[in-house]
Formats: sequence, structure tokens, C-alpha cells
Amino acid sequence: MSNPTWFEIEAPDGRTSLKLIGAWRLQRLAEIEAALLGLVLPPVAQVDGNTLAEIDSASALVLLRALHRAQGPAGSLNWVGFSAVNARIIERVQVHLYTAPSAPATRRETLLAHLGRQASLLAGLLVGHLNFLGATMAAIGELLRSPGRLRQRELTVQIEQAGLAAIPVVALVTMLIGVVIAYLLGLQAEKYGANIFVVDGVGIGATREFAPIIVAVIVAGRSGAAFTAQLGSMRLTEETDAIRTLGLSPMQVLVLPRVLALMISLPLLVFVGDVMSMVGAMAIAGPMLDIAPPAFLARLREALDARHVFVGLVKAPVFALVIAVIGARMGMTVGRDTRALGAATTSTVVQSIVAVILLDAVFAVFLQALDL
Amino acid sequence: MDGSAPVIEVDAVVTRFGAQTVHDGVTFSVGRGTLVGLIGGSGTGKSVLLREIIGLHRPTGGHVRLLGTDIWSAPANQLDAVRRRFGMMFQDGALFSSLTVAQNVAVPMHEHTRLSRATIEALVALRLMQAGLAPDVGAKMPSELSGGMRKRAAIARAIALEPEVLFLDEPTSGLDPITARGFDRLVRELVDDLGLTVLLVTHDLDTLLGVVDRLIVLARGRVLADGTVAQVMAVDDDWIRDYFSVRRIAGHGS
Repeated sequence: MSNPTWFEIEAPDGRTSLKLIGAWRLQRLAEIEAALLGLVLPPVAQVDGNTLAEIDSASALVLLRALHRAQGPAGSLNWVGFSAVNARIIERVQVHLYTAPSAPATRRETLLAHLGRQASLLAGLLVGHLNFLGATMAAIGELLRSPGRLRQRELTVQIEQAGLAAIPVVALVTMLIGVVIAYLLGLQAEKYGANIFVVDGVGIGATREFAPIIVAVIVAGRSGAAFTAQLGSMRLTEETDAIRTLGLSPMQVLVLPRVLALMISLPLLVFVGDVMSMVGAMAIAGPMLDIAPPAFLARLREALDARHVFVGLVKAPVFALVIAVIGARMGMTVGRDTRALGAATTSTVVQSIVAVILLDAVFAVFLQALDL
Repeated sequence: MDGSAPVIEVDAVVTRFGAQTVHDGVTFSVGRGTLVGLIGGSGTGKSVLLREIIGLHRPTGGHVRLLGTDIWSAPANQLDAVRRRFGMMFQDGALFSSLTVAQNVAVPMHEHTRLSRATIEALVALRLMQAGLAPDVGAKMPSELSGGMRKRAAIARAIALEPEVLFLDEPTSGLDPITARGFDRLVRELVDDLGLTVLLVTHDLDTLLGVVDRLIVLARGRVLADGTVAQVMAVDDDWIRDYFSVRRIAGHGS
């Protein structure tokens, strides 16, 4: 069964002959390749195929490469005793071997070139987002002139998916955030006997900063990613092209309903977040800080200015616009393969979260300057 | 190496999806070195049968033997050994989109052989040329290829390990007639040069009339006809008459 000799070199009458033995198949090719490694032949030699049972094209390739190496470029070979099938396979491989130009070498990029390329990609991305934002605004303007063009059904569906369906997760997360803030503040406040001021901290902190940020991050992960995935796969299946050919505008049909739905839903979700974080804080304030719910609510009325709540709610549609524009644009410009879609979806989430936090910082600075 | 044993044996295969019976006792066998076409109307389960033969979909009943191994009762390691001996080309190529064409072709070689990197590179170039692609196509990503090139790249990957059997699902669908005929010639060459056994599912009459050795017709859950194209065309059945009459009309028209 096992056949360790793949070839023999004979020189009966001064003419060197390479006698091939056995079945040369891909399964054993690693052994064959190793055996051929030290092969040296004179410039004129004979290859004997009488004892070669069979050879496949991969083995033929390895054989031809080894012969070329063993003889040098000026060698000449005399092929004898090959069966018609084997001769044909070797011949076909030989044709391919000599017409094959060397494959172009791939160049490695230097660190500086990589940095430059990434920077210009990022700049292109930002300019593209800005363009898309402009196009979205133009489309909204068009909609204001002829409100009948609004896709009400699509808008309703999107509000349901992005808003209504997000309520449970938003409620759960913001309630837990309320619990955590109240707990951490409570630990400090207790030391000074300032228990009641926990209500001030939670009230202002949650409504002004935490609820909008947390809800925006959740929505970026939920809806932003979904927009990219939906629009991206529609692009892959050429549905967006079909929309365009049918004389409809993908901007009006696909993008605007999503942008508007998110801008309507996010403030509502932030309000849910505001309420739920108060509920969470109230739930832990009772047992931990001896602040019963009536006392908590009474203090909340005194401490929490309405403007803090409004600041939080005003930020929400801006966050929504940014998330929706990034999500939709990444979907509309995704490359036409499955890997690009996955990469674009991931990128949407990362970009949205960074953009939300960046915008929140900008809001903080400006509102501070305006004494709000 | 006995040349007489059938390579593919499909024995009384029954397939049901819920209440719907797709195959109701399909039986045929294919010998070494033949190019067999499998045809049938939409919904007759051609692709399903293909998936059952290569072990992707379990039939409700019956046996499938591929290269002498019963696909649906063999242990996993034996099945792996058989998998190395056949290649499959999926309808849209199913190339891995994160790898270049050359890397796609090299995947089975890296996985199943211990060949040196240089040899694998040379072998990849050979496979691309056998599939009718220029070697510089190897550096491209699948998304950069045209439909015809993607199918050729898929063939190159399917024949990477010198399979004895090659399965093709609609190899010429979506190709222009010139590219499609080139593809037919390619498949024929592979059968003649490498001694491959090929089973292809197709709707392309030109493929059937041009290169196929034998034709198997599926209809109403069974093998309706089996033989050379001329033999099948002579079978007295409405569906077969309709199928080939399209061709006759087109032929008279020109």
C-alpha cells in the first residue's frame, strides 16, 4: 500500500532517465514534493512514464516545476512511455505553466501612508455626511412645500419600530441608571446628613444629561444600526435602484420617514427615560435614605427647574437627526458585498455614539454660556 | 481503481417538506467520467436533490451513495474524506467576500494539504487558468468580478483539490450566451482532461444540447426520463415536448 519511492534515476547507456513510479495524486503530493526537492538532472535527460500509474494536474505542476529547477533554464527533456491520458494532463499543465505571467507582488503600506489614507478617508466620510445632511434638509424643505408627499404609512411603521418598540429597554435601562445615581449620591450625601439633596442631584442630572445620552446611545445601537442594515441590504438587492427607476426618490421614500420617525420618537423616549430614572431613584431613596415618595416628589418640585427637563428634551431631536442621517447614509452608500454591509453597520453605531457625545459636549458649553 | 463502480448512486430518495412531497422515489446512478445534466420544471427539487447528494440536506427517505460512501449514514470522519473528493459550485459562486479570489481558491489547499506556500501559489495560478481566468484576477476581491468571472472563480475553488466529482448548480444562469458557451466548453474540457464526473443542474438548452453526455429529467417526484439527449427528446411526455419545442420554434425562427 505505502509506496515511498516516487521515482528512480537510471543511467544505463550514459543517458540519464527519470523513471516515475506509482500514482501521483494530490493526497500524497506533500511527500512527492519533499522527495523531488534534491533532484538534479543533466541538461539533456529522459522522463520515463512506463511505470506511472496516474498523475493529476497538481502533481504534474509540481513535477514540471521540479524538473525546471533540476535542469536549469536551458534543459531539454525527452518524454517517453506515457499513457495518452497522463501525457495529455502533463501537456495541458505545461501550456498553462509557460503562459503564466508572475503574479503582481502586493506592497505593504508604510505607517505614514496608512495614517494619511485613513485621515483622508475620515475627511471624505465627514464631507459625505455633511452632503447627505444637506440633501436631507432639502428633502424636508420639499416636503414642507408639498406635505402630501409624506409617506405616512412608512412614517408610522418607523415610529412604531424605533419608538414604541424601544420603550421597554429604555425604561429598564434608565430606571437602573436612576437607581445607580441615587445610590452613589446617597453614599456621599449621607455623610453630611444631606440626604434630601440627592433628589436635586438625580433630578437635574438625569433629566438634563443622563437620560438623553443613555437613550440616544440605545437608539443608536438599535435604530441607527437597523437603518444601515435595512437600507444596505436593499441596496445589495438593487431595491433602491428599482425605487429610483420607478420615478420615486429614495430620499423621500426611505430616508425621510426614518429621519422624521427618529426625531419624533427620541424626545418621547427621553421623556420616558426621565420618568423612569425618577422612579428608580425614588425606589432606592425610600429604603436607603429614608426619603419617602411623597417627600421625594415634594423636593423634586422645588429643586427641578422645568428648564433642565426642556434642555434634555431639546437635545433629543438633534441627536436623533444625527443618528438617523449617519445610519441612513451608511446604508445608502454601502459597498456591494456582504462584508461591507457588516462593516458599515458597525461603523454606524460607533460614529453615532461618538457624534452624540461630541454634540452633548457642545451643548453643555453653549448652554453654559447662555446661562441656561 | 475500478472504473465500473458508479460514482453517484441515488436510491429511492423521498423528500417531503411538510405535506408537500418533492421527491417520491428518485433513483439513478452516474458512472465515472460522464457529464450528466439534471433538468426539470421549477419546484421539482433539482437543487434540493443536489444538496441531498452532497450532504447538505437530509432526505426524508432513501439512500445516497457518493464515491461508494453512504452520505447519510457514514461517520463524520469518513464524510470529511469524501468531501475532499468532490467539488461544488453554488449558483452565485458563494465566494468568501472577505478574501481575494486567490485566497478563496487556496482555502481548501491550506485546509487539507501540507504543501509549501510557493507550491500552493503556483497551484492557485494553475487552477485559475484551468478555469479560464488570467492569474492577475487572483488579486481581486469577489465583489470586483463580473458574474461570469465569479462563476469561473467558483469553479477554480471547486476543482482546487483535484476532485473526482464536480457538482454545478445552474452554471450558466445569468451569463450572456457567448460566456455561457465558453463555460460549457470549460466544463467539457475538465471532464475530458481531468477525468471528472460532473452533475449539473441547468435550464440552459444549449448546454444540454452541446456538451452533456446524459440527461436526467425530474418530474412529478420521479425520474421521468434518463438517457442521451436524443433519447430523452424522443420520450412521449407533454412536459418534455414543451421543453424542447421552445428550442424548435426558436430554431425555425432564425
